[in-house]
Amino acid sequence: MKLEVGYIDIKGIRFGDYNAVEDGILIVNPEPLLEPVLEDPLIKSAHFEIATPGESIRITPVKDVIEPRVKVEGSGGVFPGMISKVNTVGSGKTHVLRGMAVVTAGPIVGFQEGIIDMTGVGADYTPFSKLHNLVLVMEPVDNFKQHEYEAAARLAGLRTAVAIGELARDLVPDETVIYETPTVAETFKEEWKHLPRVGYVMMLQSQGLLHDTYVYGVDAKRTLSTMISATEVMDGAIVSGNCVSACDKNTTYHHQNNPVIHDLLAVHGKKINFVGTIITNENVYLDDKIRSSDWTSKMASYLSLDAAIISQEGFGNPDTDLIMNCTKLEKQGIKTVIITDEYAGQDGKSQSLADADELANAVVTGGNANEVVILPPLDRVIGTLDYVDTVAGGHAGSLRPDGSIEAELQIITGATNEMGFNRMSAR
Amino acid sequence: MVNFCRLTLGGEQETLHANKYQVVTNNPMVADAFGERCRVVFLEYGSDRDVIETVRDLVHQHHRVLTAPLAGSVKPWETPYRSVMVSTSKGSAIDTTSLELVEFALQIISQSRERLEPTKPSIDRDFQIIDLSLIESALPSVEAIGRV
Repeated sequence: MKLEVGYIDIKGIRFGDYNAVEDGILIVNPEPLLEPVLEDPLIKSAHFEIATPGESIRITPVKDVIEPRVKVEGSGGVFPGMISKVNTVGSGKTHVLRGMAVVTAGPIVGFQEGIIDMTGVGADYTPFSKLHNLVLVMEPVDNFKQHEYEAAARLAGLRTAVAIGELARDLVPDETVIYETPTVAETFKEEWKHLPRVGYVMMLQSQGLLHDTYVYGVDAKRTLSTMISATEVMDGAIVSGNCVSACDKNTTYHHQNNPVIHDLLAVHGKKINFVGTIITNENVYLDDKIRSSDWTSKMASYLSLDAAIISQEGFGNPDTDLIMNCTKLEKQGIKTVIITDEYAGQDGKSQSLADADELANAVVTGGNANEVVILPPLDRVIGTLDYVDTVAGGHAGSLRPDGSIEAELQIITGATNEMGFNRMSAR
Repeated sequence: MVNFCRLTLGGEQETLHANKYQVVTNNPMVADAFGERCRVVFLEYGSDRDVIETVRDLVHQHHRVLTAPLAGSVKPWETPYRSVMVSTSKGSAIDTTSLELVEFALQIISQSRERLEPTKPSIDRDFQIIDLSLIESALPSVEAIGRV
């Protein structure tokens, strides 16, 4: 598959009385964008706020982060099966509003959502502090059911990102990059024969109504492990429906910009032969774990991989899926590197993962989610601080009287991302 | 001493549950949702450790663990609730995979720092909902198959 991605750099966002991108500035007229959001009977209120890098702003509770994109040429539309028709994406031309994101915020599950600080210590720990954020703040109707409202909030965010992305359709990109993935037959061509055949195993959180990921609109927990093209992922084929664990959940933005995919493509045909991407789920039911990891290893074997990179999402029983995937590949002679994060206690001395095996001997960590940080008080809060004491990583007393927050890194959206989409690690 | 309240829904009702699985839980929302569906061992005042230890007892009696004992990305020190699905039928010997899973879960729980009390009733309810949604997510898988 061949996808031409045109990046349009966004240097700022401001409100106006029309919607457009002019000279790198996104101009937002809220009313027409909010109309479809408010049509959902579960959403009581919604409004936009703008957060610029360096501003004294704290966004919380954050649900998802989404990059606006639009399909300019080729089949399908962004977020296939979820917003656009289900047709295959990943070919043709896509425009991206780079340097910005649509962030959805507001209460869903009281203890789960994260924080994005736009300045100070907290900003260093999240990649999203470097983006111009258009924050869609939503409030549910009273007595809502969390899983129904999660769907409403998820779709509202995606629809908004699609509407913003549409503004980029006729723009001239600042940079164009062509991404191309080979067929299996092409990976056997003579000039790549000396290169190691490397695959990417992308694990998707899929444990329950609020721990879910969608692939072409299908709930990943009802899928068998399968293959997907790297360029399909760039077109939004994988969407986050995950409301857990701010620091190590993969937001939709992470999927759209998956760093493992980008790095593998960058060295494909030079240092390695990037054969393909396998997606596999992380279910609660043990037979599902066994079936999915068996299937992953079968597919890795069909592809005659020499090595694979395995990225995880979440913590706890996904560690079991991670180790199953790792060991089953290793036992077939396929070398693995796993990307995970750690819950090693505040002192870093406890066991990092909830499962382990001596075959998992090449590990990249995204950092220790239990590390304590003190976030300074900031001038403005987008959303509400009502949940800071109770979000994962916070505790009673986390929110101090002066507005500062003492909590673990896991409170920060994207802090210990297990695709390696951040700057923390360890040697 | 932990006060266990074992809700087996009565001997006569239990026989109606010709189901493949049973659920051990300390979550009232799970006990309520699954009470009609299968045998529920409800540890009303039990901790997460009590749930896993009860599951271990069942594993010692040759039952199999069907769902991950530490389900979800909710950390042991955050949530007070755990629910685990266990086979109704017994094997001829201890299932070693099940035993390893529960022992590992107990190890993780014992390493965890003390759980912090939720500050609001609404948060407690959210913990119950998440735990329920995790165990419910196993239903299509367990109900689709002829064996467990």
